[in-house]
Parts: sequence; C-alpha cells; structure tokens
Amino acid sequence: MADAQHEEQTIRVNGRRQAAEIGLTVERLLERLEITGRYALVERNGSPVPRERFGTVELEPGDEVVIARPVAGG
Amino acid sequence: MPAKGTFMSDELTIDGHTFGSRLILGTGRYATDAAMRSAVEASGAELVTVAVRLVDFDAPAGKADITEALPETTHLLPNTAGAQTARDAVRLARLARAGGLPAWVKLEVIPDERYLLPDPVGTLDAAEQLLSDGFTVLPYINADPVLATRLVDLGCHAVMPLGSPIGSGRGLKLRDSIRIIVEQSSVPVIVDAGLGAPSHAAEALELGADAVLVNTAIAVADDPTAMADAFRLAVLAGRHGFRAGLMEERDRATASSPAAGLVTNG
Repeated sequence: MADAQHEEQTIRVNGRRQAAEIGLTVERLLERLEITGRYALVERNGSPVPRERFGTVELEPGDEVVIARPVAGG
Repeated sequence: MPAKGTFMSDELTIDGHTFGSRLILGTGRYATDAAMRSAVEASGAELVTVAVRLVDFDAPAGKADITEALPETTHLLPNTAGAQTARDAVRLARLARAGGLPAWVKLEVIPDERYLLPDPVGTLDAAEQLLSDGFTVLPYINADPVLATRLVDLGCHAVMPLGSPIGSGRGLKLRDSIRIIVEQSSVPVIVDAGLGAPSHAAEALELGADAVLVNTAIAVADDPTAMADAFRLAVLAGRHGFRAGLMEERDRATASSPAAGLVTNG
C-alpha cells in the first residue's frame, strides 16, 4: 500500500517522476524546475496548457506533464 | 516619387503581416547562440524559425530557450520539425501556441529520414486541421505544383517548396516545378531548403519566388555573419533583377556591338 500511496503523490514530467503536493500549479512546478525565461510550453495529459492558465491550473497526482521549449531549428 | 531604377515599398506580406526582408533564417546548426544572433542581425531577416523540443533535465543547456538569444524584434516562426505524422505536427503547433509563441507554423510532416522529404498527404491533413484552428500555416512541401494549389485552395498563407533536400546545399534542382508554383500561386512562395550559396538564393528570387528560407548554408560557413550578409545582398539582387524584367533566353548569340561600320571592312 505504501507504493500506491507514493504513486498518488507524484506526477510525471517528461517521463520522470516528480513529487507533487496538493494544489501544485503549473507555474509553481516551472519555478521548482527552474524553467525561467520567455517561453515554457506545457502539456498536461495530452492537452496543451495556455500560458495564461499556468498560475491557476492545479496538477493532480498521476498527471502526465510535458514541458518543452523553443530550440534552434530550421 | 522614387527615382527610376529603384524599387520602393517592396515588402513581403504574409497573412496581412509585412516584412521588409525577403530572407527568412533558420536558427539551427550554429556553433554558438552568439554566432546565430550575429548572423540573424547581418542577414536583415525579420522572420526566423525555431523548433520545439522537450526540456532535458540532464543536459547542461537542456532548459535553454533559444528565443532569448534572438533580438526582441524578431518575429518567430515555430516549425513542426520532428513530426512524422499530421497528428504529431498539430500537437507541436498547438503546444507552441499555448505557450505563447505566435500562432504561425512552418508545417513540416517528414516521415523520411534519409532525404527528409515531406509527406504530402500528411501535410494536407495537418494544414486543414491547423487552418480550421486559426493558425497561419506555411507548409514545407516538395516542389509539386498540384499539391501547392491544393494547399493554397485550403487557405494556406504561403507555400514553401524545397529547392533540393534539407541541408544538401545543392540549389534549385526543382527549378522548373518551382517556376510553375510561382506562376500559379496566389500566396507567397518561399523556397525553403537546399540553398547552398548566395547565387542559389538570387536565382530563386529571379524566377519570381517571393522569399527564401536559409539555414545550413549560413550556419556552417567559416564566417556565418559574412555569409548572412552575402545572402542578404543576393536576395536583394535577385529580387531587383526579377522586378527589372529579365531578358528572354535565346539559343543563339546576338551581337551587342553594331554589325555595320566594321573598321576591318574600311
């Protein structure tokens, strides 16, 4: 049961497990991961999260989060 | 009143947005971010492409945002490089827009890694979805005039036929097809990929292309800043040449000096 409880308190970020307390917002997660600068591109459970909602969208245990950035490319 | 021999207000307009330069730059493959920025500035380009990739928490620069290395006035054109299907491309474009990047997309659907040739069916499918979702769509395509027409009819805001495969530097191998696309298109035609030398860019503009997108040829030059300037000049020269009206090619020679009054006949 301990494992199940642990699972419930984590999310996955780019495939990697990450602790996530109740009420953790996307904005707070980005700060914690030191993703600063102009653009952070975020998907939650397959849906893109609009930047305006980073401060209000609260992540839930078990969420799959993708964080991407603009990189050099043609 | 502009003096004869000059061309004023020759701006590139895409979806109602005007650009002073007909050179669009890719930001990939530069040795450093500083070299990339210097080349962008020297090129005069106002529109540059960026790709979208996952943050890599294990790499030293895995969290870096390339746009921070660009002048703030630069207009960003996110691409969907890496998308092998229409579904991948739509996902990437929506992710970029949600994160605050412009709702413009250089649409690439490329399942083929050897020649990096775009999938026309997937591109058409993704273009339709992105257009109905409000994006400004610039699809990267093989130089297929029928496909270009289909994409323009759907509502795409430009078409981007390739000159030759990405990064090959081989120039306008598909020149005749590009000429047909230029003739038929009601939206800007941007020759993208394969331009390896400034003369290739000039040639594209001379045959009536509205703009070119260049990346590798500048990024891998010994002096990327100087090469960016060379491409800037070539694009201007090609465009001026096109607007001035090129002479028609002939099979035989025509003397440029008078045939009459030869001294040797005197």
